[in-house]
Amino acid sequence: MKTEWLPHTVLRAASLLTPSDQRTEWLKEWRSELWYIPWRQAMLASLGAFRDALWLRRNNLNPGTRNRIYLESPFLCIALLATLAAVSIVVAAQLPVPHMKPGTLNARILAGACIGMLLVSALFLAGTLSVWRAPANHHPMPWGITLRWGVFLALKYVLVQPMMVCGFFILLQPGPLGRLANVGFCAVFILVLRWVITDQQQRCPVCLRSLTAPVQIGTASRTFLEWYGAESTCSRGHGLLHVSENASSYSRKPQWLSLDDSWSGLFSAPPGRRHP
Amino acid sequence: MSPARSKRSQFSSCHVEFYIGMLRAMADAQKLSHTSAMILQAISSSHIYGYTVMEVTGLPSGTVYPALRRMERDKLIRSQWERQSIADAEQRPPRKYYRLTRAGEITLEASRNRYPLLARLTPTEEVQER
Repeated sequence: MKTEWLPHTVLRAASLLTPSDQRTEWLKEWRSELWYIPWRQAMLASLGAFRDALWLRRNNLNPGTRNRIYLESPFLCIALLATLAAVSIVVAAQLPVPHMKPGTLNARILAGACIGMLLVSALFLAGTLSVWRAPANHHPMPWGITLRWGVFLALKYVLVQPMMVCGFFILLQPGPLGRLANVGFCAVFILVLRWVITDQQQRCPVCLRSLTAPVQIGTASRTFLEWYGAESTCSRGHGLLHVSENASSYSRKPQWLSLDDSWSGLFSAPPGRRHP
Repeated sequence: MSPARSKRSQFSSCHVEFYIGMLRAMADAQKLSHTSAMILQAISSSHIYGYTVMEVTGLPSGTVYPALRRMERDKLIRSQWERQSIADAEQRPPRKYYRLTRAGEITLEASRNRYPLLARLTPTEEVQER
């Protein structure tokens, strides 16, 4: 019986775990194999497709094609955060606030709430500093670049506050929505602040673009006097970031290796564009 | 550089690469798990499809297919789709079959030394002749 629908449904469900660019090939292979498997064993065999799909997901040879919001450009990142902040303000303004008459929530109150949330976030800044890993730079950066780096971080920090305020207003709502928000708000609050920091860590300090092409270097079993971890590259060729997998006395912090113009031939961007 | 010298240096660099490849494969063979060695053995004895490997080794599909992918990534085996015309002629879907690479053969040989009973699992032609 080659037209058993259940194993094929299982295959279809498992295929959702595979990277989209390899899904067709993966499905073709599994459907072909299922055709040859006796139908009594087909169901059991098709369950193995989940493990195979997960393996393919974890070991995707083309990580650049992963489905994720691509925020390589700092302008795109700020634009998206600004849009989300604007939407959050609109949503927050529409929500009824307990002990307040409907329609009394004006811009001044919302701005005050955002500033209040910013102060609360600042309390958590000490906690988020523990995950902060500033690139150990052998060549000191010009103050202009450092200032831009700080402004970008501050902008992201400020722009996530309206989203927090919106979440907080949902938290105040009576009924199931408020109870659900009660559980998730703290977790989301911490995760958003953590994202702000980790996103900053994964950006080139010169052009603020997200670092690309992460490559694993070394093996965990050979740590004696040998560094192992991940190396990411700035797509404009400004440098390489070495992030150690396991902190040790000689590689505690990520190492930012600045590249000079002699490396420009290796990168797609013309040399003139490599300078900020 | 004279053409003879250039040829000699080319020749020696090819040899060096070949020996480094062999040494690397032998070193990796030490890390090959028993499961992977069984799958390599099954492929070397002409069980070249995913399902036949499952049948011969008795391993579940959730083990065999990821292992095949991992070994293909490590260049121990290579896969190829059967020609559509052959499959059409036999009124069945085309299959993806696997073959050992040179590195895979070296690794399997080293694994046989490590797991002496491996050869008995799926007797190769040499063992059958005995």
